[in-house]
Amino acid sequence: MASSLHTQTNTNTNAMNGTSASAAPAPAPADPNSHLSKKPRLLTPPQPLPITPSGILSEFSHHDPSIARINNGSFGCCPSSVISAQQQLQLQWLQQPDHFYFNQLQSRILQSRNIIKDLINADHVDEVSIVDNATTAAAIVLQQIAWGFAEGRFHPGDAAVMLHYAYGAVKKSVEAYITRAGGYVIEVPLPFPVNSVDEIVQEFKKALERGKQNGRRVRLAVIDHVTSMPSVAIPVKELVRICREEGVDQIFVDAAHGIGCVDVDMKEIGADFYTSNLHKWFFCPPSVAFLYCRRSTSNSDLHHPVVSHEYGNGLAIESAWIGTRDYSAQLVVPKVLEFINRFEGGIDGIKKRNHEAVVEMGEMLIKAWGTHLGCPPEMCSSMVMVGLPACLGISSDQDALKLRTYLRDKYCVEVPIYYRAPKDGEVGPVTGYARVSYQVYNKVDDYFKFRDAINQLVHNAFNCESLPN
Amino acid sequence: MEHEDPLNGDSTHRTCKKPKFSSKFISESEIRDEFSHHQPRVARINNGSYGSCPSSVLAAQRQWQLQFLRQPDAFYFNTLRNGITESRKIIKDLINAEQVEEVSLVDNATTAAAIVLQQIGRRFAEGKFQKNDAILVLHCAFLAVKKAIQAYVTRAGGSVIEVRLPFPVNSEEEIISEFQNSIEKGKSNGRKIRLAIIDHITSMPSVVIPVRELVRICRLEGIEQVFVDGAHAIGSVKVDVKEVGADFYVSNLHKWFFCPPSVAFLYCKSNVSSDVHHPIVSHEYGNGLPVESAWIGNRDYSSQLVVPAVLEFVNRFEGGIDGIMKRNHDEVVKMGKMLAESWGTNLGAPPKMCAAMMMVALPSRLCVNSEEDAVRLRSHLRDYYEVEVPILYQVLKDGEKGVRDKDGLITGYARISHQVYNTLEDYEKFRDAINRLVEDGKNCQMLWVE
Repeated sequence: MASSLHTQTNTNTNAMNGTSASAAPAPAPADPNSHLSKKPRLLTPPQPLPITPSGILSEFSHHDPSIARINNGSFGCCPSSVISAQQQLQLQWLQQPDHFYFNQLQSRILQSRNIIKDLINADHVDEVSIVDNATTAAAIVLQQIAWGFAEGRFHPGDAAVMLHYAYGAVKKSVEAYITRAGGYVIEVPLPFPVNSVDEIVQEFKKALERGKQNGRRVRLAVIDHVTSMPSVAIPVKELVRICREEGVDQIFVDAAHGIGCVDVDMKEIGADFYTSNLHKWFFCPPSVAFLYCRRSTSNSDLHHPVVSHEYGNGLAIESAWIGTRDYSAQLVVPKVLEFINRFEGGIDGIKKRNHEAVVEMGEMLIKAWGTHLGCPPEMCSSMVMVGLPACLGISSDQDALKLRTYLRDKYCVEVPIYYRAPKDGEVGPVTGYARVSYQVYNKVDDYFKFRDAINQLVHNAFNCESLPN
Repeated sequence: MEHEDPLNGDSTHRTCKKPKFSSKFISESEIRDEFSHHQPRVARINNGSYGSCPSSVLAAQRQWQLQFLRQPDAFYFNTLRNGITESRKIIKDLINAEQVEEVSLVDNATTAAAIVLQQIGRRFAEGKFQKNDAILVLHCAFLAVKKAIQAYVTRAGGSVIEVRLPFPVNSEEEIISEFQNSIEKGKSNGRKIRLAIIDHITSMPSVVIPVRELVRICRLEGIEQVFVDGAHAIGSVKVDVKEVGADFYVSNLHKWFFCPPSVAFLYCKSNVSSDVHHPIVSHEYGNGLPVESAWIGNRDYSSQLVVPAVLEFVNRFEGGIDGIMKRNHDEVVKMGKMLAESWGTNLGAPPKMCAAMMMVALPSRLCVNSEEDAVRLRSHLRDYYEVEVPILYQVLKDGEKGVRDKDGLITGYARISHQVYNTLEDYEKFRDAINRLVEDGKNCQMLWVE
């Protein structure tokens, strides 16, 4: 068992100084107390106490203990202390909603936005809007493209480029807002398994060339920072640069898995729009995400699709009131930062250890099963695609889903399975990959449980054919 | 699965584990307990803005939330959709819809307006409507709805006809005739009216509108689609969508139907175009609005899941939701009259045009002369008198004489609400606060706010 799994906690003095004292180019706040001073009239501890292993256990004691929960990527997680803070906020609203609405809500949302701005190295808090999730952010960005077509600024056939592995919901949104409005959509095929960043860059360049054929303009590129299924970390900085060179109008990075999973630096990456969920890898409760919109882009035309009183006052202000609803998930960001800063190195430390641990676990699994990883370790984030033994007979998306259900129900293992169609000429290929996640609450036993479950299936000559519909 | 009589209990619902043998009605002290989280000293007579939610429903909500957090994947695959369908079935029965497919759950009426108006906007953009085709809306429609019209209709080239209803109002006939006139004027230059948006209960000023009659007029006048914005309706007036006859009908469940923030239903009559979509597009795009709305990305859907627990709650009251509605109405009328009498003013509408809210004129001496004055007064009442009540500044229409009290022209109204947690003391506190301000010779311009 590697030592990296035990370095989640801190006993040395680094954490006492708050965030990482290392030279890592982290987007963590320079002054770990900066967020505390913005809290309106709340009692705050002087310094977050370093968290211990039993502290972590207790923070996630509400997770079903019988499950090997190795799918942080889908729905994320939220520690008890943040849930309590959220419940307090919910209660404050319920106690006297008018007072909360008039006196508390907007300033607290602004506080959260300021924290996020610092975390992601944005220039100005106006560039940071808070929305429910990346799905909502996509609708916002894509809707303004639709208006471009409707209002004649774009011409029928102007293109949008997205990855073939773009998230299903985003693809639907592209259909609803771009295809429907007359746009021409180009999907960038990506190899999987993938061996190097260069393979991705080459495919992307080819797709852009196609986009520009026949004098077409490429109005938008949608680029995942970390694809969902299969999960691979994409060289976004490089792809954004290529887009700029090739005259793509706007670039939207979908980093649903971004913050807490990969480095998120708006100035480094250079996109026009960037969204990331905070409830996946940043310990917020469901649900909250940020949408960053670079000020220099001519994008004052972005609107939240749920239009309310603040329409026309800027996206961030519009998004902060979209009718009566529970905004508490947006308000706990300060509390979440406190939680994160109890770990050595703050969010960067967590990210680094998650990555190292998930790669270690991935390698343990492929060794046990005789398979391979779907991409090299440096293209994994806190998730890794682990090949499943070919003899399991995963031969369709349905098989993958059925196997996932079977693993949940019979083996108490929660892990999403990806079906990868074999290419012509491949012999006995691996057609199933598990997307294994690692988050601070995970233990080696979770992965042993998964290892053993698959080994048992192989031993019993299990085949997906045998699973009922 | 159909929802059973909640008094017999329904063990598949993970609601609070209260004993099911009791058929006694909820007591006064139990009601107090259910709303003990409300700030105690505040006279909370504004249920209309943000609603209220009893502790037992909050507890049920918390259970759903914890279930998700415990094992979200299993919740997503095995529990969520069935739970939402359950809630939709209950609502279908409550509102007398024909099919559960006509009932979608969304966050709030604001979201429903975006859905309805976005499809109108698309038709302009796609050339199905002509430039300058109109939509019709009440002048006092909720501001968010007007902004949505701007965002989706005006921007796409449509024009807007506003119907200015009289206020104070004395009879439904006044509303009906004004509505009829506006449609005639609107159509007079050959314009086609593509959509009419009619409030069931207007927000500010709050009046119950004879929607059934107005929808009938819309049909006679060839208006293609009618959208009834019943944000305040369910739990304060009877909602029968077949009777009302609109194409779209929305109501918030968190205002008068005891749900936590936030959840609303949007009813879409089955023969209405299938081109109605949730603007937040996700995996279920194209599978029908109810299914689209049931998954708009990862978020907390728990407020949509507690409808069964809410039904259990309302059925602890004598007469269930109907009994609650009637008593709220009777009380708010009584309280309104008490206030008007004490202040020497009038009510904004007759009792039969009120539900659980009432507009009570404020003494002219307070000099509510602008929107800012109204906001100041409201804040002052909150900060210094612990009374929460929204205030309206009522502009006079050209040529209107206006209503007067003994000192001058009435320009300010308070919108008082009555919900099950309210007591006489709440309204006495308000009565005394206003009387005090008047006695002290205060007017809006002089008021301190925090």
